[in-house]
Amino acid sequence: MKRLIGLILLSLTLDTRAEDAAAILARSDAYRNSLDSFSIDVELTAHDGKDVETSKFRVYGKGSDRSVVEFLAPAAEKGKYLLMLRDAMWIYMPSSSRPIRISPLQRLMGQASNGDVARTSFTVDYTPVSATEHGDEWMLELHAKDPSIAYRKVQLWIDRTTHEPRRADFYVASGKLLKRAHFREYTVMSGRRTVSVIEIEDLVRPGRRTEMRYANLVARQNPDNMFTREALAKW
Amino acid sequence: MLTRIALRNIFRNRRRSAITLAVIIFGAVGLILFGGYKAVTFRGLRESTIRRIGHLQVFRAGYSSAESQKPLEYGIENAAALRARIEKDPRVKTTAAQITLMGLISNGDKSETFVATAVEDHADAGTVLLGTGLARSMKVREGDSITLMTTTAAGSLNAMDLRVAGTFASGVRELDDRAVKMQLTAAQELLQSTKIEKLLVFLHDTSQTDAARAALASKEIELKSWSELASFYHQVVLLYNGIFSFLGLIVFGVVVFSVANTIVMSIFERTREIGTLMAIGTARARVWRMFFLEGLLTGVIGGVLGLAFGTGLAQLINNAKFMLPPPPGYTVGYQLMILLDPRVLAITFFISVFTATVSSIVPAFRASRMQIVDALGHI
Amino acid sequence: MNEALLHLDHVSKSYRLGRVLVRAVDGVTLDIERGDFLALAGPSGSGKTTLLNLIGSIDKPDAGRVVLDGVDVTATPLHHLATTRRESIGFVFQTFNLLPVLTAWENVEYPLLLRGMSRRERQERVHHWLEQTGIRAQAKQRPDQLSGGQRQRVAIARAMAGEPKLVIADEPTANLDSETAAHILDLLAEINRTTNTTFVFSTHDHALIGRARTVVRVRDGRVAQTEPTAAAA
Repeated sequence: MKRLIGLILLSLTLDTRAEDAAAILARSDAYRNSLDSFSIDVELTAHDGKDVETSKFRVYGKGSDRSVVEFLAPAAEKGKYLLMLRDAMWIYMPSSSRPIRISPLQRLMGQASNGDVARTSFTVDYTPVSATEHGDEWMLELHAKDPSIAYRKVQLWIDRTTHEPRRADFYVASGKLLKRAHFREYTVMSGRRTVSVIEIEDLVRPGRRTEMRYANLVARQNPDNMFTREALAKW
Repeated sequence: MLTRIALRNIFRNRRRSAITLAVIIFGAVGLILFGGYKAVTFRGLRESTIRRIGHLQVFRAGYSSAESQKPLEYGIENAAALRARIEKDPRVKTTAAQITLMGLISNGDKSETFVATAVEDHADAGTVLLGTGLARSMKVREGDSITLMTTTAAGSLNAMDLRVAGTFASGVRELDDRAVKMQLTAAQELLQSTKIEKLLVFLHDTSQTDAARAALASKEIELKSWSELASFYHQVVLLYNGIFSFLGLIVFGVVVFSVANTIVMSIFERTREIGTLMAIGTARARVWRMFFLEGLLTGVIGGVLGLAFGTGLAQLINNAKFMLPPPPGYTVGYQLMILLDPRVLAITFFISVFTATVSSIVPAFRASRMQIVDALGHI
Repeated sequence: MNEALLHLDHVSKSYRLGRVLVRAVDGVTLDIERGDFLALAGPSGSGKTTLLNLIGSIDKPDAGRVVLDGVDVTATPLHHLATTRRESIGFVFQTFNLLPVLTAWENVEYPLLLRGMSRRERQERVHHWLEQTGIRAQAKQRPDQLSGGQRQRVAIARAMAGEPKLVIADEPTANLDSETAAHILDLLAEINRTTNTTFVFSTHDHALIGRARTVVRVRDGRVAQTEPTAAAA
């Protein structure tokens, strides 16, 4: 009898684990994409071997797949705007009258790729296929829901207790590990505990890492028409 | 009689005639040699271009007019069926599937953009060949590993580690700084697609290109001939033809001056003779014809000799196997060859005869218009 | 008496010498009888050469008419007279004026070719006249291989081969030594006698003037005297 109860309890726990994976994931995501419509300040420090470059942005976001990035620093970049949508990206420069579309290939280069990584919503784009325990962390294996999603597979380590995301490994279709994001620090912003420092390693080019510091997360009513090409030109 | 007189008058002043004929011969030889060199160059460039891009290229219909944001968005599906159909045509020697793609290539330290040509006959799917410039900038040698990154056909990211199997030189420096050669299946793996971008069609004979193109056309495909794609070839043809025409013009000018000068001098010296001819009853038209004939025959003799010398010299050059330095943009030299093109020979002969004849027209006319009494009184 | 072969009626010709207009022939009226052996005599500049040219239809008068065998040649433009000349007039020049690229034979044959004569007839005539002028042996030689006298013989043969009505000779003996000149003179006279071809000379040569049947003295563009000489009788 004890064994039977034990088995039932075990099976229940197992099921719970599977369901929990989705819940856990959702909770983990909440630390990163806490508000649906918001603005946030970002300070980005890029390390390339010994070289260090710093830039500042303000990001206006709505949902997980729309954002407008306003370049604030350095002075050379100030006045530029980036419109990031799910399938496309446009840059607007004050020197030209129309926004320029950035091809997916160009998106691979530079900091735009890190932007993609930082704002990935795991709940929206990925399905958890397994959850395993690793010491005081869960490791969730996530598979992209759609072939058009940038990284086909993600391994996400989250704190067992708080479900705060600790680390995410991003894999491409061939199985190669391209980037690793470390969620280093958490702060309370806008009344919620949110990731405030993310460090992203470029595993194809070791020695390159980017540190992104988030601050001043504010809920904001961003209208839909703000995330259009035409709106971009009006900034 | 008139011909006899004209011929004898041509050889009357040996030295002057020799010089005039030498001018014509020089001009003719120049045209033959340059025309022949031009023909060889065209042929070589044409065939090497075709070896690289095929006689025809087959794309999915709409490929050229579409703006694809994703790789292989307008690629060919069901390539196998299409190839089978095309290879049935007796004019077709073989087909080759190809994909060109762009992305980033990284050696772990830095990234560059690359343009890859993915072909079927690349030996090893796990290796790539890099253009010499790219290999240098990536600081890689044979056996080193590099990563190719690109966006897939669906729009996601992909990256593959591949081994460098060697380098290649396309002959064009700008290409070699970005070029990668890889296996077709590796590219399809990287792009996560089973499509191909285009099919290269190789024929047995270049002259059948247009016929084959018409025969192979169908609704679902777009065909381009090598001629449409070989802009460099056409530029070279235009350039060389321009130079050839310019050369022809110069030859024309020089021969006209030389022959006209000879005839004018000849007429001057024969002024009293002309007066006599007219006095004893030669009509003006006949006098004109006499000098005209001299010009014509000079052109014919010069033309024939020019052809003889030209073809002889061409043979000598071909047998001597001189080597020339690489042309602009290329990295290898080639043998100097003169192709004896019957068209060039015909044009050259025609120019010789035509120019010599034309130069005699006005002087001959002036001779025929002389006043008898003045002519007779001439020294 | 024969009807005049040639009739000149108030013929005048001027030409420009630098800025000056020279009246070479001034209102000359003259008749030349058929078969005559006529000399135009006069000093240099008298206009005798010009007069000869007008008679030979190689020059056109400014005024007056030239009537050759009943036909007014002045009515026709000069370059259309080529046919008339080649059929009716023969020319002998002081400087021989043979075509250097042709042989003696070919030189004599030339005017006959112009007339489109048949091969046989050409051969006969050329042969005949080379014989008559005594240079049959030199037929295949070119002018530069012949002496002055020989060349003049060729020229005479050429002039006669077409059987002209009139032969014009401008100083035919001037470039010959006296002995050769005498032979040529004999030849010309002989031909005149046997063929009754009219000969008109322009000359200084006293020997020639002496042999002429009619002498026309020319002076300042005018005919001073016409005197039939003893030879005419």
